[in-house]
Amino acid sequence: MRIPLRRLGVYFVAFLFAIVVNFTLPRLMPGSPVDSMIAQLGPRATPAAIEAIKARFGAVEQPMWLQFVDYLKGLATFDLGVSVKYYPQTVTQVLARSAGWTALLVTCAIVFSLCVGVSLGAVAAWRRGGRFDAFVSPFSVVLIAIPPVIIALATLFTFGVTLRWFPVGYAYNPDLDPGFNFTFLGSVFWHAIMPVLRLSPYMIGEFQTTMRSSMIAVLGEDYVTMGRAKGLSETAVMFSYAARNAMLPVLTNLALMLGAVFGGSIVTEIVFNYPGLGLTLFTASVARDYPVIQGQLLLMTLATLGANLLVDIIYGVVDPRIREERA
Amino acid sequence: MRFGLQLLFRQKKAVAGLIIIAALVLMAIFAPILAPNDPAARVGRSHQPPTVSHYFGTTKMGRDVYSQFVWGARPSLAVGFATGLAITALGTVIGLIAGYFGGRIDATLDLATNAVLVIPNIPLLILLASFAGTVGPLAIMTIIALTSWPWGARMTRAQTMALRNREFITAARMVGEPSWRIIFVEILPNLVPLIGINIVGSIIYAIVAQTTLEYLGFGDPLNVTWGTMLYNAQNSSAIIVGAWWDIGAPAMGIALVGLGLALLNFTFDEIANPQLRSGPALSRWLRLTRLRRRELEAAA
Repeated sequence: MRIPLRRLGVYFVAFLFAIVVNFTLPRLMPGSPVDSMIAQLGPRATPAAIEAIKARFGAVEQPMWLQFVDYLKGLATFDLGVSVKYYPQTVTQVLARSAGWTALLVTCAIVFSLCVGVSLGAVAAWRRGGRFDAFVSPFSVVLIAIPPVIIALATLFTFGVTLRWFPVGYAYNPDLDPGFNFTFLGSVFWHAIMPVLRLSPYMIGEFQTTMRSSMIAVLGEDYVTMGRAKGLSETAVMFSYAARNAMLPVLTNLALMLGAVFGGSIVTEIVFNYPGLGLTLFTASVARDYPVIQGQLLLMTLATLGANLLVDIIYGVVDPRIREERA
Repeated sequence: MRFGLQLLFRQKKAVAGLIIIAALVLMAIFAPILAPNDPAARVGRSHQPPTVSHYFGTTKMGRDVYSQFVWGARPSLAVGFATGLAITALGTVIGLIAGYFGGRIDATLDLATNAVLVIPNIPLLILLASFAGTVGPLAIMTIIALTSWPWGARMTRAQTMALRNREFITAARMVGEPSWRIIFVEILPNLVPLIGINIVGSIIYAIVAQTTLEYLGFGDPLNVTWGTMLYNAQNSSAIIVGAWWDIGAPAMGIALVGLGLALLNFTFDEIANPQLRSGPALSRWLRLTRLRRRELEAAA
């Protein structure tokens, strides 16, 4: 499967942009961040640690481009510097600890919202103008417009604090030993429900809206009439004839939304005290742990780009027109 | 344009949205009358539930939540609306230039647009904000505007490209009108519905982003806004101790703005894209397209 060169160019530029922002920002700042970071290390500030921070943030006598080359070399070997807050640990270690939890949340939320949003959109378009459509479609637009913080706090208050249905923190019961057994996995599942439910409304709203408008366009096509003329059942026409093709814009939309989904996961993890990348980013930003904040941006950019690439590939597989063009 | 406005007022959803937004804006404007007390003054004991003297209860610090809610509307709405306009202006100009000039300019701008679009916005915002330290309203506005123009730029570019080769543009070019005049006087007025959608969407986005930044503690904590109210409530564990009014008031304000704008946006979408309308208009439209396609096929 070939990806158009243009797309790869876009991904390359985006990644370069993230790197350049990371590299230049601390060097542009008035009043170097280096001093504040060294001050924060306190007694842990060994000469080696100070050296590492200085090199990373440009407090060395070296021309700019040489510093940039060194920076790139570091990135190529996954050396993102040392964390200020968790000092002896490197940024890579800190991020690796929490990346899995975020990946779990985001993946579950995307799969769940795709199923719900696409079905709601398809049915709303099928019965457009009906009572279902009149309620669900404006509701989706409202779902998109409500800030994640609000939904998160409302969910936490209702289901976590008042009703006490779900736990209000951590990724699993801290009394359990992590292991591949039913109790532990059950606990992980139980703790993930509220965060996933909170991440979903925005995506469900987006998918429903996109699906509805693309489905309405598809319903005017002759092959849908053909499907009906063949005497197929309504459900068969709706799902195998119309919805299949109407899915394509939803995929494009999914690719564009991924960045926003990561943003939403940050807020969610903070509210639900869930030990993913977002919570790490929050503690890092409170402690002004610049290396971790920067590593975070790079990792999230990489993840978004990777997911975009995946969507490009899936798109090629799903859309026969693109398959034909390339053949 | 007149037709568009009539259509707008005939829509119940749009009218409801307009009323919500207007009420909130009026509340912000008349804050000194509605809540004459200083929102930062301590007026009672910590975390008192709503009573007649304090409609929305008090915060952990014993401040009146109602006064904070009314006064907080000012910076929250002002920053949200101003940022939304800034995002739209930036996106529209970049989209117009890329779409009109084409060629290498378009290739460069389109690459930049798509690249900024795939970078996750909130982590980038947090990075910028944390290097800037505590940020005032103006800084929040700049940071949000600089990272979120690509949506508008993409839409505007596509629409401009469609308009570029129409007869009236070619005519203007032949008469010898300068490019800036063609772009801003000939093309821009045709993009008004699109810009409307863009503004409403951008304001929604700006308010979400502003709330997120302030909730994470990047706002000025002495400045009373809905975002910093949430931040303070979170820090005083309002939810855990059951002081729902402390979080509920700012959350309600933000949710109402979102609701009002969403209702407006839904209607704008339907005006600009008749295909999305439901009811008789839709079936008429579907019949027309089908007829037209058949005519085209017969001609071919």
